[in-house]
Amino acid sequence: MSERITRAQIPMEEMGITPGSACQGCGAALAARLAFKALGPNVIRHGVPCCPDTVTKTPQIGTVFEGGGALLTGTSRGLKAIGREDVLAVGFFGDGGTYDIGFQGLSAAAERNENILVITKDNEAYMNTGNQRSGATPKYATTSTNPVGPKSRGKEQPKKNIPFIFAAHYVPYVATASVAFPEDLIAKVNYAKTITGFRIIIIQSPCPVGWRFEPEKTIEIARAGVQAGIWPLFEIQNGHDFKLNYKPKELKPVTEYLKPQARFRHMTEAEIAEVQEDTTSKWQSLIQSDEMGKVLI
Amino acid sequence: MVGNKAAATACKLARVQVASAFPITPQTTITQYLSEMHANAEWDFDFVNVEGELSSQVVVQGASRIGARTFTCTSGPGLLYMHHPMQTTGSGRLPVVMAVVHRSYKGMQPDHSDLMSQEWTGWGHWYVEHAQEVLDSILMAYKVAEDPRIRIPIAVGYDGYVLSYTAEPVEIPDQALVDEWLPPNKPIPEVLPDKVNKATFGRGFGGEADPQVPWKVHHDAILKIEEVHQEVMDSFEKTFGRRYGNAMIEPYMMDDVDVAIIAMGTIAGTCKAAVEKMQKEGKKVGLIKLRSYIPFPVKDFQEWSKKLDAIAVVDRSICPGKGGPVYQRLRETLYDMKKRPLTLQFHAGLGGKEVRVRDFELIGDKTLKAVKSKKVEEPVTWV
Ligand SMILES: Cc1ncc(C[n+]2csc(CCOP(=O)(O)OP(=O)(O)O)c2C)c(N)n1
Repeated sequence: MSERITRAQIPMEEMGITPGSACQGCGAALAARLAFKALGPNVIRHGVPCCPDTVTKTPQIGTVFEGGGALLTGTSRGLKAIGREDVLAVGFFGDGGTYDIGFQGLSAAAERNENILVITKDNEAYMNTGNQRSGATPKYATTSTNPVGPKSRGKEQPKKNIPFIFAAHYVPYVATASVAFPEDLIAKVNYAKTITGFRIIIIQSPCPVGWRFEPEKTIEIARAGVQAGIWPLFEIQNGHDFKLNYKPKELKPVTEYLKPQARFRHMTEAEIAEVQEDTTSKWQSLIQSDEMGKVLI
Repeated sequence: MVGNKAAATACKLARVQVASAFPITPQTTITQYLSEMHANAEWDFDFVNVEGELSSQVVVQGASRIGARTFTCTSGPGLLYMHHPMQTTGSGRLPVVMAVVHRSYKGMQPDHSDLMSQEWTGWGHWYVEHAQEVLDSILMAYKVAEDPRIRIPIAVGYDGYVLSYTAEPVEIPDQALVDEWLPPNKPIPEVLPDKVNKATFGRGFGGEADPQVPWKVHHDAILKIEEVHQEVMDSFEKTFGRRYGNAMIEPYMMDDVDVAIIAMGTIAGTCKAAVEKMQKEGKKVGLIKLRSYIPFPVKDFQEWSKKLDAIAVVDRSICPGKGGPVYQRLRETLYDMKKRPLTLQFHAGLGGKEVRVRDFELIGDKTLKAVKSKKVEEPVTWV
């Protein structure tokens, strides 16, 4: 499990080269900035189509949208073949490249326990193509393919529980992180660097354009999501050992997270109450798992 | 040795470092041979048993980018499934070698529709006739693909069942000779983070000064395969004592003939027997076995056309609504010639339909008849 760090321990050196093509207030650009700071120079970064186009000081390899898991596999095996196992193959993919079109290849790479690190910036929709729904979009969110109308209340289904799905592959390390908790995020990348095998860190990355809030509110909204228990911060090792990294005495109400985002603006009191109830009950089981130190998968 | 064993043996001889594949009939046994060879540590390589062909293509793409020598293989539907990343392997100029064990679009039996349908992916496409040629061509494919003038992936196609699962005598070259003839692949250092570099590979964002340039460079590199392939064939013969025509084509009994039949793959072997029989009967018909479909042997066919009255093209695939690819490619190749031989299109062996010696005799007779009457009465024949 990761070891707590202080803000002063966040590396000073930037690995990202700005500007990329990110919008103002882009959570994903921040996720890249923090993650690659922690990763340092000895990595090859892998990308598949997604936004934003962050440029790092390290070489970058890309492939087809659906190919992230297999590309990392190929690089990692290739590095072994040429005797360069010191170099880490890192993927930086969107939620579409992780939860949806890229899932098959990543699931297979997880099952084979490939020696790779996947970092997913989860902005809960296909933002690059204009905010269409993904398997990561939460219930009731409007997207450009879930408009609200007489037959629609936004997305009908809940968000896929991707960290637990990967944990159920019994891989060495699965973690969630948030751009609003940089020390926790960096601590998790630091830890991931010290182990081998399949590792995945899913980073909550608010998108002002898609979620429809003012760009200066990115961190506020990310923090509210974590504090409300909608985006819990945790780690799972070997599909078994569990640790909740952020445990407030009391969760903030989900309205603090939902209200500032226009993608949830249409929600009724009853719908908000449903989200609240769902969040609270999931939080209960996370607390229980944390007390036991394990998840039952 | 069966064709699929010849392919796996070629991997061993080439000291492939990373192989990846997903089983599909009639390629399946290659994955099993490679798994056995891996389990028995026959040489130092990694075999990645993936969950689908798309991933096998992307795995070798990644490993090849790092500089490892890579191999993959598939058939029919598996090839169609990896179409998307084949294009990125091609555009990436990655010297991957792939065995395509032909299986028809329609049904399980062999025809060339699988590999023919991939002609836009930016690979070299070779078609071979027998198990020895499978082994030899895979070795040559590495030498051509990895040549700094080329850096283009190459698909070596051979017919399923009749070749994949049929045993023939195969001479296995001496490992030490292969090692000397085929030195290890060289990595591209820029892909490693040894110095600060923000080099980007395999992602096209557009924005080049002239977005046509990558297309032109890719096209020119593939055309260059012709010259390098011929050099490699010469050096292969010098080292191992075998050769296949001039690499692009293999003319068979083409002295003093009026008619050539163009055929590819295993049925070229059947055609050899037919040509022998026909020439004994005084019919002036020979065979030009087409080995390299991409790049196409333009110069060779233009030269041959000067000496021939008619060419019969046997296409073992068809683009529905468009026609036989080799026939069409040949006709455009001959368009600029002052004297053009007659050309006849024969569709044969589609969906695995057997093509017999007497079918080739019929093809020969029909073409001779056209020569005699100086006219093609029936340009398209379904054999
Ligand atoms: C095979 C394929 N299908 C569709 C696309 C179009 N496309 C490019 S990026 C993208 C969405 C990316 O979404 P996500 O992975 O969530 O990343 P984000 O843009 O939100 O960061 C889509 C649909 C593509 N490039 N390739």
